[in-house]
Amino acid sequence: MKFGKGLAASVSILLICMLTACGGNDTSGRVQIEFFQNKPEAKGSFDALIQKFNESQSDITVVQVNPPDAETVLKTRVVKDDIPDIVGMGATDTYSLLAQSGIFMDMTGSPLLSRIDETYVQMLKDVSGMEEVIGIPYSTNANGVMYNKEIFSKLGLSVPRTWDELLATAKKAKDGGTIPFYFTYKDDWQTVLPFNALASNLEGIEFYLDRREGKVTFADRYREIAEKQLELMEYGHGDNFGKNYADGNRAFARGESAMYIQGTWAISEIRKANPEAPIGFFPLPTGDDPESNKLISGVDTLLAVAEDSKHKEEALRFIEFLLEPENSKQYISEQTLFSTVQGVTQDDPAVSELLPYLKRGQVVDFADHYIPAAVQLNSIIQSFLQNRDIDAYLKKLDTEWDKVADRR
Amino acid sequence: MNKRLMPYYLMTVPAVVLFFIFLTLPALQGVYYSFTNWNGFGDHYDFIGLKNYVNLFKDGNVGNAYWFTFKFAVVVTILINILSLLIAMGLNAKIKARNFFRGIYFLPNILSVLIVGYIFNYLFSNVFTIWGQNLGIGWLSTNLLGSEQHAWIGIVIVAVWQGVAYNTILYLAGLQTIPGTLYEASNLDGASRWQEFWKITFPLIAPFFTINMVLAMKNSLMVFDQIVALTNGGPGRATQSISHLIYTGGFEGGEFAYQSANSVIYFILIAAVSIAQIRFLQRREAEM
Repeated sequence: MKFGKGLAASVSILLICMLTACGGNDTSGRVQIEFFQNKPEAKGSFDALIQKFNESQSDITVVQVNPPDAETVLKTRVVKDDIPDIVGMGATDTYSLLAQSGIFMDMTGSPLLSRIDETYVQMLKDVSGMEEVIGIPYSTNANGVMYNKEIFSKLGLSVPRTWDELLATAKKAKDGGTIPFYFTYKDDWQTVLPFNALASNLEGIEFYLDRREGKVTFADRYREIAEKQLELMEYGHGDNFGKNYADGNRAFARGESAMYIQGTWAISEIRKANPEAPIGFFPLPTGDDPESNKLISGVDTLLAVAEDSKHKEEALRFIEFLLEPENSKQYISEQTLFSTVQGVTQDDPAVSELLPYLKRGQVVDFADHYIPAAVQLNSIIQSFLQNRDIDAYLKKLDTEWDKVADRR
Repeated sequence: MNKRLMPYYLMTVPAVVLFFIFLTLPALQGVYYSFTNWNGFGDHYDFIGLKNYVNLFKDGNVGNAYWFTFKFAVVVTILINILSLLIAMGLNAKIKARNFFRGIYFLPNILSVLIVGYIFNYLFSNVFTIWGQNLGIGWLSTNLLGSEQHAWIGIVIVAVWQGVAYNTILYLAGLQTIPGTLYEASNLDGASRWQEFWKITFPLIAPFFTINMVLAMKNSLMVFDQIVALTNGGPGRATQSISHLIYTGGFEGGEFAYQSANSVIYFILIAAVSIAQIRFLQRREAEM
């Protein structure tokens, strides 16, 4: 019976595959938990921390998963009911959707939260619009203008503190033969960075709470934001829509531009290209009053545990390990982020100019964290910056917002 | 049951069952979800009837994606068929190192679309632009993919570059079914090259023309990988294809049910286009 034999063989191969793939425990009897995170920049840093954790434990093995386009992968996995034990992601609209769907464990009152700066716990509540705390804020970032200290001193430029000074600085850089801003707008998410600084500062987060209730419109309140973002485009390079984030990091590392509107997350990438890059950082000035200008800062990574996970306790132990001051410090130093853990400070000179803002609490969250992902803000802004039609842009923001609200 | 039929059942029934479980069932589920407001996760959802379908017709982004996809598909289908027929005739001629060239021309088909896309993406942004600057050619010195008006041309170039390989092989197979004696006879009658092509070659490979048109059209209507690798639908939504819209809207945007409705319409459309094409082209075959 040749046929039967072949069938038996294939069935047993199938069975073996299924058994090994589904088994949560590996051969040594350790519990295996999956840590899924969305930052490609941070893969190496987490690998090092995970190795340290695994060596210190006899019964848990943590495995990191970091696919490209992680937020989308996570959503597809959630659809399949295959949620990783621990998820590390930013406090974005995606997080808010997931938190509201009840797939993550409620952390309210967890002893782990007592180590965390209260501001960021509140930020999670604001983003999700829930009283419960779903996840532990782990690191925070800042979004502003990165500048090349060497070019600044060569051209005699100083750090601008108001919007007009910013444009004057850009003009001087241009006249001095340097590219003022290196725009990387082939990646549509890059176009959101100036938007966030302008929108959060000029209109504030309250705008979105009112917009949800239909009390205000973009057309009424976002004209100045649109005009200012368009004005910045005068100071780019020749191919603003042809370069992507990776191109920009490489170019800025080589000193091709004086300024680079970016988040602190890019510093580690820039240093990979040039460890000696003379980086400085200041908040994007948006108005006339330096005192009221806020730094854009949000939760870069929060740690959430799946409600359905079979190994919640082990997952919490790993989170506790990550929150230890020593480990948190290691992570934020490598990634040039800021820690949410009380008492852990960032000493990197590249971001030292931002510390006073964080210390005074002169910070505001990213505006786009409050815009539903289905609106696809990124592509709307990218398109606007190409066709430069302010009226159409503001109208588009309003209609897309209403359409999405209507479909929800 | 007849014993001799047993092996046939053993072979077909599992295939039918697998097909049903992995293709038919999910498709039916998709149709079911298209009448709800489910976001893809979460515990609850409500039935909302045809609301998703109504909203689809009101959504400019959906219209934009259908328009882009059809425009793209028509251009790509025509270009692929012209080029692959020309290349196939070249490769069918008595030239030196014929097998070597056949291998070379088939190479793009073996590479993964995504990898090809990323390579071209790099070329468009960092290589062609430098050539353009050095040669002083304006339109070449900025990235083609960064322009709302022209980005689709870049995607067409990559899609055609890769798509030609497969259709060339099919045309080559077709050309080899034509007996050489026909050409000898036409030579004796003094037919020109042009007459030879229209009177002999083209009618005799008509079935291959049909299948190539249908395949190229179907593949380019379903364009996805190239878009992801080259522009991610941008700038703005200038190059967003239907499948890309379904994927990003459904998963990134958390509008699973809404995009399920979109995919139902998309499925019906592709099926309709393919059937119409086959009908039309087969009738033409018979006439020739």
